[in-house]
Amino acid sequence: MFTQFFGNYLLNKGLVDTQQLADALAIQKETRPRLGVLAINAGYMTAEQVDKVHAEQQRVDKRIGDIACDMGFLTREQVEELLSTQGAAHLQLGQALVNSGAMTNAAFADALNSYKKENSLNDVDFGGDSTGKIDDIIRKFYNFSEDDREAYLTEYVALLFKNIIRFIGDDFTPLASEHLNKADAVLAAAQKINGDFACTTIIEALSNSYLGFASRYAGEELTELDEMAHASTGEFLNLHNGLFTVNVSNEMNTELKLEPQEIMETGCSMQGEVYGIPLVFPFGLVRFLLVL
Amino acid sequence: MTVETMKVLICDDSMLARKKIKTALSQIGVTQVFEASDGEQAIAVFKDKRPDITLMDIVMPKIDGVEALKAILAEDPKAKVVMASSVGTQENLKEAIKAGAFDFLQKPVSEDQIKSLISKTVK
Repeated sequence: MFTQFFGNYLLNKGLVDTQQLADALAIQKETRPRLGVLAINAGYMTAEQVDKVHAEQQRVDKRIGDIACDMGFLTREQVEELLSTQGAAHLQLGQALVNSGAMTNAAFADALNSYKKENSLNDVDFGGDSTGKIDDIIRKFYNFSEDDREAYLTEYVALLFKNIIRFIGDDFTPLASEHLNKADAVLAAAQKINGDFACTTIIEALSNSYLGFASRYAGEELTELDEMAHASTGEFLNLHNGLFTVNVSNEMNTELKLEPQEIMETGCSMQGEVYGIPLVFPFGLVRFLLVL
Repeated sequence: MTVETMKVLICDDSMLARKKIKTALSQIGVTQVFEASDGEQAIAVFKDKRPDITLMDIVMPKIDGVEALKAILAEDPKAKVVMASSVGTQENLKEAIKAGAFDFLQKPVSEDQIKSLISKTVK
C-alpha cells in the first residue's frame, strides 16, 4: 500500500505531474524494473554508478549485471538477489517513470530514499501489509488525528485501500485529501451507514472513470452507463461497507447498520462535513466521499 | 434431488452479485435459477417457485434479508435459506441463525463456497 502513497509523494514534490503518473500507472504492470533501479532501491549502487553502467552498455555488448560486476559496483550474489525482487510495485512504477523520461535515475533514487526515510520504511514494508505503519500513514495523510472519529476514519480508509487493491487493482495514487463542508457529485453510488459512526459513503466520478472502475470490479469491459455499470460500482461500495461493519463489530465492539446502496445518475449535492479521498487510476479520477 | 433438478433462488439487489452467483451455479450444472432484487420479491418468487435453496442478501430495499427469511420460514418451515452478505457481523450472524437460516456465506462469495453449499444440499 505504501507504493500508492509513494506516487502521491512524487506528485507533491513536483517531481512528476498527474498525467505522467497516470501514464506510468497504466504501463506499470508490464514494466520490469531494470537492475539499476533495483540496485538503487537496495542501496547497492548510486544513481551516478547506474548511469555509468548504462553508458558502458552502449559501448560493450554485455548484460547490465555483468558490467556492474566488472566495474566492481555489484557482486554476483547481489545481482542474483536483485533479480529475484523484480516484481515490487513501487519499483515497477519507478522504472515506468524513468522509461517514459518523466524522471531520471538520480531523481528517482533521491525521491525513494527520502520517502523511505521520512516514513521509516524498508523494502519489506513497501511490499507488505504492516497494519500499524499503514494506519500511521493514513492518519497523517488525511489529517484524521484531530477528529474524534479518528479510529473509525482510519479503519475505513485503510480497509478501503486494501479492498481497492484486492478487487480493483493496485495501480492508483491518492491525491491530496479534501476536507469540505459540501459534497457535490455528477454521477455517484451512495450508501448510508447508521450507528455510532453515522455517515453517507459515496463513490463519484465522471462517466469514463466511473465505467473504468465498474469494469474493473465486474471483471468485464462495460461501455454503457447501464444497470450493470451501476450494479458493479454499487456492489463494490456495499461490499466494502459490509466488510467495514464486520471489522468495526469485531475490533471496536460496535454494531453499525447499512442501508441499501443508491445510484445517483443525475448527481447529488449534500451538506455536511466531508472527507474526500480522490484517487487517480489509469482510467481516470475516482473520488470516495465520507459525508459525516 | 440432483444438481440438474435442483431449484435455486438468488435474492440480491445487485444485478452483478446475482450474475456472479448464477454463473457459478451454471458451472456446476444448476440450471433452474430464479432471481429477486428485493425482499418483497424474494417472498413472492419463493411462494411461486418453491426453490430447494434460497440465497439471500441481508441489506436490500423494501424488506431486508432477515425479514424475508422469517416470512419464507413462516410459509415453509423446512425452507433452506442461506444468508449471503458482506455484512457478516456477529450480530447479523446471531440474528440470522436465530431466525432459522440454514447457513451464512460471507461476501464476496467464491465459486468454491457455492459448490460446497450445493453438494451439502444435494446430500
